Amino acid sequence: MIDQILPALGIGQSSPVQGDTTMRSASAAAVSEPGTDFSSMLARMAGDTVDSLKQAEAVSVAGIKDKATVQQVVETLMAAEQQLQTAIAVRDKVVSAYMEVSRMAI
Amino acid sequence: MVDPLNASQKIAAAGLDVQSHRMRVIAENMANAQSTANTPGGDPYARKTIVFSNDFDEVLGTNVIGVEQIGTDSTPFRVERNPGHPAADADGNVKYPNVNMLVEMADMREANRSYEANLQMMKQSRAMVMSTVDLLRSS
Repeated sequence: MIDQILPALGIGQSSPVQGDTTMRSASAAAVSEPGTDFSSMLARMAGDTVDSLKQAEAVSVAGIKDKATVQQVVETLMAAEQQLQTAIAVRDKVVSAYMEVSRMAI
Repeated sequence: MVDPLNASQKIAAAGLDVQSHRMRVIAENMANAQSTANTPGGDPYARKTIVFSNDFDEVLGTNVIGVEQIGTDSTPFRVERNPGHPAADADGNVKYPNVNMLVEMADMREANRSYEANLQMMKQSRAMVMSTVDLLRSS
C-alpha cells in the first residue's frame, strides 16, 4: 500500500540529499519482496486478530455450556483482547500516517 | 517465534489448570475422609495423589506443566474397632480411609497460594504487553 504511494509522490526517487537517504531506499527495497510487504503484513495481522476473536467467542460459548474451564475462557478472552488492542493501536497509527501523507504540502 | 511474554501467559495458564486439578483431588479426599467400604472387611476410600509433569510444548517452544497421573496413596488404612459397623470384619475392626485432614488442609492452602502466584504471573506479563502496546498510542 504505502510503498505504492510513496514512489507516486516521488519520495522514494528523490535524489539523496543526506547520507542516510540511500540507506532508507535500500531498506524499502528489501521490504517490498513478495509476501513480506507492509500491506500483506497488516492483512495477516488483521486475520490473526479476527481468528483469535472467533476462538474467544467459541470458548466463551463452550464455557457457558460447561465444556470449558473458567481459566480457558478467561485466557482466550484476554488473548483476544490483547490482540484487538494491538490491532487497534496499529490501525490508529496507520490511519494517522495516511492523514500525515494527505496533509503533505505539494 | 513465540513472543516470550505471550508464552509466559500460556505457561501461567497451564499452572492455573494444574492447580485447579489439584484442588479437585483435594476436594475428593476431604469429601471421602470418612468413606468406608460397603462390604464387611472391604477396603475404604484410598487417598488420591496427583503427580505433575513438565512436558515440552512444540507450539510454545518451552516446557509446560501438566497432570502426569492421579494415583492412590499406599499408606495403610486407619483401623478402628466398631463391631456394629456394616464394614466391620470378623474381628469387629473397620478400616477408615488414609486421609489426614490436616495434610489435606495444608495441601489446599498450598494449591491456593500457587494459583494466586500463577494469576499474578499472568497479570504482570499482560501488563507488560499492554504497556508496550500503549507506546503506539501515547504520541
